[in-house]
Amino acid sequence: MPVPTASQYTSPRSESLDAILARFDEIERKSGARSIAVAVYDTETHASFHRNGNRWFHAASTIKVAILVGVYASIHHGWLLPQSRLHVRNRFFGAVDGSPYRVLADRDANSEVHSAIGKMMRITELALHMIATSSNLATNLLLDLVGLETVQRSLDELRIDGIDIRRGVEDEHAFEQGINNRVTADGLSQLLRVIAEERAFSPQLSRNMLEILHAQEFKQGIPARLPRAVRVAHKTGDISTVAHDAGVVYPPGRKPYVIAVLTEWSPSDSGRSATIAEVSHAVYDLLTTTDGGARG
Amino acid sequence: MEARVGESFRFPLSVIDGIRLEKPLRDVLLPGRIVYDDSGHARRLPRYFYEIPSWEQAMKVQLSPSFALWEFIQTDVREAAPLRGFPRYIPCAITLLAASLERFREAVGTFVHIAANGGYRSPRHALSVNATTHCWGTAVNIYRIGDMYLDDRESIERYAALARQVLPGAWTRPFGNTRGQTDDHLHLDVGYVLSMPRGAPERSLGFSAERRAV
Repeated sequence: MPVPTASQYTSPRSESLDAILARFDEIERKSGARSIAVAVYDTETHASFHRNGNRWFHAASTIKVAILVGVYASIHHGWLLPQSRLHVRNRFFGAVDGSPYRVLADRDANSEVHSAIGKMMRITELALHMIATSSNLATNLLLDLVGLETVQRSLDELRIDGIDIRRGVEDEHAFEQGINNRVTADGLSQLLRVIAEERAFSPQLSRNMLEILHAQEFKQGIPARLPRAVRVAHKTGDISTVAHDAGVVYPPGRKPYVIAVLTEWSPSDSGRSATIAEVSHAVYDLLTTTDGGARG
Repeated sequence: MEARVGESFRFPLSVIDGIRLEKPLRDVLLPGRIVYDDSGHARRLPRYFYEIPSWEQAMKVQLSPSFALWEFIQTDVREAAPLRGFPRYIPCAITLLAASLERFREAVGTFVHIAANGGYRSPRHALSVNATTHCWGTAVNIYRIGDMYLDDRESIERYAALARQVLPGAWTRPFGNTRGQTDDHLHLDVGYVLSMPRGAPERSLGFSAERRAV
């Protein structure tokens, strides 16, 4: 299939947008999801659209993008160096009463960080593990180092609304008390947009963060039904009641677009990743159609 | 300690008087200063340090048959900036700690792993609270012995008891998860030992030769 040139792309027509929003309704209905939220921003045409964009969801592991930003903000401000080393220790303090807790190795997707307990790892290595394999231990180590306030302040500095960080991951006591990290599709989309447009602190630091997001190993969501040539820098998030994926999609021959797909489910529901992949595919189809989505 | 029989061993590190170091280093080492322990007792920080010129040197210097210098100076980004590079400084009592640990190593019969931030930490290290013995170079946090991670009551208390048995006077932090306790490593220390090796610079003694002769 010939790749369209950048100038051939135009904003989706309003009838195309209506059609894709209807398509989202249909996907939600068919999937059995309790709710689906989608936010899209196209850096090629500057078009944006969303469905339930302001609805709050449990963030699951998508909060790690915000923590990544907090870490790179600390590098930007000179508080950390990328090569700074950090003691790997599995002991954190809960958000409710400060009681200690650990990240259980068998609930963590990454064993490499666990095997480094007692030793040190570089900040950038931990950031990579936090995103690429969603290491919960790496996440808590980085959050413990930079602090919740730094992360939230970094989001404020970038003028991001719709991301509310309140604790580390695997803090079961806080979960039981309803103290959770929350995101909206719009919030994640805004954050990924400033990274994609290289406005997150500096072009170089933005590129560094994108490189880490490109290393994502869980590809069952946004990239699953896209052509192989399409690169995606993204972060997934999955717990019993939510499944999310948010990222920057790079179709060949055009500028990237940002997409956040947040979904909420009953614990027994299946088909989560397939649903995210279907939404992603529909958005890709719309934005890469050269006539502005007339096919929609 | 690689000296052969009949050959005198020469310790390769210079002894430095901390109060003669540059101000940025004095500000983080606080040589000879008084700090207070958890009980409110005044403790005087070490004044004499070994100067470690490079990481390569730290890798080469054996403080005991089983423990090399580098194992005691692994600190992370929480250490004060002037002590993250080289030359670096470590209290002279570190050799006494290494000798004690060697005895412990013999008793356990396998490798003893010192944790990052678990050897010497300066008083300005973010984890140095009050007069922790880590600032004297007389404490270690051991997170693993052989293949066993010390992260539960059974393993921590078992090795703590052994340490106290083979090192009379040594102190181990009790098991628990509140302040002053430990639940993910064995803290072992030999107290607030101040060491002034014979190689210490003479001028640094703080009084004149005439006075010493009296």
